[in-house]
Amino acid sequence: MRHFKKSHLLIGVGLVWIAFSRIFQGDQTLELATSDNTAFTTSVGDVAASIRGNRTKSAAFIYFFNPIRAAINGFVEIIRSIISVPSGNSIIPVIGWFGVVAIVAFAVYATSKLRTALLAVSLLLACGALGMWQFTMDTLAMTLASVLLSLLFGIPLGIWAGLSDRVLKILTPFLDLAQILPTLVYLAPLALFFLIGTASATIATMVYSIPIAIRITAHAIRNLNQSPIEAALSMGSTPKQTLTKVQLPMAKQMIILGVNQTVMAALSFVVIAALIGAPGLGKPVVDALIIRNVGQGFVAGFAVVFVAILLDRSTSAAAKAQEGFIPMTSQQIQRGRIKRGLAGLAAIAAIFASRSVLSLAVWPGSINIAQQVEDVTNHVTKWVTTNLYIFTVGFKDFISNWVLNPIETLLAFSPWFVTLSAIVLIAAVIGGIRVAMLATGLLALIVLSGLWHEAMITLTQTIVATLLTMSIGIALGIWVGRSVRAERILRPFLDAGQTLPAFVYLIPMLGLFGPTRFTAIATGIVYSIPVVVKIVSEGIRAVPVAMIEAATVAGSTVRQIITKVQLPAAKKAILLATNQGMIFVLAVVVIGGFVGSGGLGYLVILGGSKPDLQGKGLVAGFAILLLGVTIDRIAQASARRT
Amino acid sequence: MVDGKSSAGAGGSLASNPPAVSVRGLWKVYGPNPLSIVGSPDAKLSRSELRAKTGCTAAVSDVSFDVAPGEVFVVMGLSGSGKSTLIRCLTRLVEPTAGEIFLDGEDISKATPQRLRELRRQHFSMVFQHFGLLPHRKVIDNIAYPLEINGMKKTERHARANEVIELVGLHGYAHAFPEQLSGGMQQRVGLARALAVDPQVLFLDEPFSALDPLIRRDMQQEIIRLHRELGKTMVFITHDLSEAVKVGDRIAIMRDGAVVQIGTPEELVANPIDDYVANFVRDIAKSHVLTLRYLARPAQPGDDIDGPELAANIIIRDAAEIILQTHKPVRVIENGKVLGIVSSEDVLRLISGVA
Repeated sequence: MRHFKKSHLLIGVGLVWIAFSRIFQGDQTLELATSDNTAFTTSVGDVAASIRGNRTKSAAFIYFFNPIRAAINGFVEIIRSIISVPSGNSIIPVIGWFGVVAIVAFAVYATSKLRTALLAVSLLLACGALGMWQFTMDTLAMTLASVLLSLLFGIPLGIWAGLSDRVLKILTPFLDLAQILPTLVYLAPLALFFLIGTASATIATMVYSIPIAIRITAHAIRNLNQSPIEAALSMGSTPKQTLTKVQLPMAKQMIILGVNQTVMAALSFVVIAALIGAPGLGKPVVDALIIRNVGQGFVAGFAVVFVAILLDRSTSAAAKAQEGFIPMTSQQIQRGRIKRGLAGLAAIAAIFASRSVLSLAVWPGSINIAQQVEDVTNHVTKWVTTNLYIFTVGFKDFISNWVLNPIETLLAFSPWFVTLSAIVLIAAVIGGIRVAMLATGLLALIVLSGLWHEAMITLTQTIVATLLTMSIGIALGIWVGRSVRAERILRPFLDAGQTLPAFVYLIPMLGLFGPTRFTAIATGIVYSIPVVVKIVSEGIRAVPVAMIEAATVAGSTVRQIITKVQLPAAKKAILLATNQGMIFVLAVVVIGGFVGSGGLGYLVILGGSKPDLQGKGLVAGFAILLLGVTIDRIAQASARRT
Repeated sequence: MVDGKSSAGAGGSLASNPPAVSVRGLWKVYGPNPLSIVGSPDAKLSRSELRAKTGCTAAVSDVSFDVAPGEVFVVMGLSGSGKSTLIRCLTRLVEPTAGEIFLDGEDISKATPQRLRELRRQHFSMVFQHFGLLPHRKVIDNIAYPLEINGMKKTERHARANEVIELVGLHGYAHAFPEQLSGGMQQRVGLARALAVDPQVLFLDEPFSALDPLIRRDMQQEIIRLHRELGKTMVFITHDLSEAVKVGDRIAIMRDGAVVQIGTPEELVANPIDDYVANFVRDIAKSHVLTLRYLARPAQPGDDIDGPELAANIIIRDAAEIILQTHKPVRVIENGKVLGIVSSEDVLRLISGVA
């Protein structure tokens, strides 16, 4: 009964909104020309300028920010000088490319198996052949440095949060916030305090990946089988003994899985952090996006994908090797040791070779297929855009004219108070009075920031992308959730999709749709579909078999089972997937500022390059955060209320 | 088993040597301000009344009993009766709200964390329903764990672990991992681990409830054998009355957190204190539990009173064959005096359930 009423209320709100929007079309939309500042954004810009001016004077910088920056810079540079940049007086890094390949091969072989090691080697060589060796090494060095630092802080904090309810309670809001914070938002503020460069990039990456390490470690500790722990206590173990002898060994596999996730998060961020001066593969990607050279973007993008597969396969293989505690025979152990010993010796020999033979130290320039790859991809893109015009541009125009434009008119070209009231009313209907009040506050702040119109442009794109993501994602999710075969077919794509940095998706989309609003939306869809499919299919699969058997015996058709049993039972998972999908989409839509999506993301990027718009860029970043929290609260409330 | 059970007297009191475990007025109340319930008029309320009135749940309410040295004391109750909470209070895995727990005269409930660890390491140990084995350790290192945390050297603790491995019938499994073993074998590891420190008291929390019926029977025999060989004091939790009767010297029946009746299996079957207990023990074959004392009756005119003599503490099942083969009623003797006679008809009537 209540549900029935709710949907009527929503329709009512929508109709009134449309009516008001028609009447006051174009009034009080708070539009602001891109190059204009408001009094507020100007003053934020002044504050930023004065912070920058104080770098050598203020105590906060001299005793806090600058030492941290120096320490992190030093740490990253040590790793870079080992594998990537010339060390000291030498013209080559400590270890040349051949040595690096050997070390990676040995490390992967020692922690998992030969096949994974071979895959890792071929991926590395492919990066070299793409002419990306130096960038690849920089990306690896940055990722390694960030991951080591993240784990250094993340695992102890995670263990602590796993053991203490109080610590978890204190950390949870930060972890939640980090999860909904679009990556683009904290680049500029960090660069303000730590300068553009590796330190800012590393810290930003840590901000992004530490919460993942903390969350998974705490989860691993908390979800252990409690029975051995109780037994250990009953035998008089001290808390320390219980932790080191019982809890950590039992949680080890899960924690290694957390390392895998941390590595993948760090990699995807290191690529984006090219925007604030991170060395590595992000740089050629950004360069290619700026000059709209799809082929060149593909070359760098392939290298990113290869590194992602390399890191994911090798770390997840290491996690899998931890599965089960079944012992090997002593003969097997012996043989394994000998093999690993020999491999280790070979790796050491390779390192020495890479230090003495120039062609093994510096990637030979003659092995370079970048131009060919660029030509082929440009060719293919051209062929697709000319021959499949009807699908690409047709689809783009259809969505733009029939979905995007009407929603944009409603949100961004109605008077601000009409849109604001409508959103608050919707929040009230689906989330209750408290969520409505929160939404009022957050949206009012956006209005005060002076970037309301831009925020509504971004919100429009987020909503459209989410609508499309959900309609595709739910359908795929039902399919994967119901069919083992579908799961087997789609699983590799879903896994790969989740590990790739959002940035690289922009490249093919740019090729297909050119620099438009729709490119950002399409990228957002492609990026967030995997997570939606995963959550929805898990929800479908979690529906008890008995329920489905009962419905089948009662004579339901497949369609009835889906619509009357599985979907209602998986409603919570679907709402959760919507929430996650929206957050993912928002993160990508703002990055789409690069390829012509406009909105807040464009202002953030512009603020990074134009000093007089820096304040506006910072404010835009904050507005993205406000928008993200608003979306998240409303979506979560709707999930909670079912 | 004619004389196997060391009868420890009736009720909660013991006459002779001091008890190994003694529990006095033990309470565990969950909810707001739990201490205020204990000793207040509310303490007399039933569980549901208490929850309705105060929002508190008494998982264990005012439990007292004594366990004699070497006795197997069974706490028996259905799920939710508070027996698991009770045994966790005894070992302070759950902190009791009120009451005293004496182990060899020392009040465990007042032990400092340090002293509590010492007690756990040396004086008592526990066996769990779900075994609680460490999956990442071999059998031998699981068994040696309590010795290891006590600081014993590796060779020493492995030597001791090997002794216990032989004792519980795990020969040849020392280097297996728990997940390679069947449930029954895993619980043998659990038992071995508990015995490794040679504790005075063994607490067993539904140790066999997770096992298949056939394995369960084997393990019950095993615990009886170990008890006979080692003579450890045991507090044994179960929800299975036939198991309780099999292994227990005395049984405490719990309901809604309180002890309803404590007694030997014979006492419970012969004189259930209320309908609840009577209902419980109804399915127990009386002839398996009761002794001839229960059947002995004064001779009626016409009875032969020169039949063979049998001791009063023989269980009826064990005496049945002799009685049925004799044509005269047997005379039941206790302390040299004749308590009465038992005829084959009396035995048949009891077995067929008419009596």
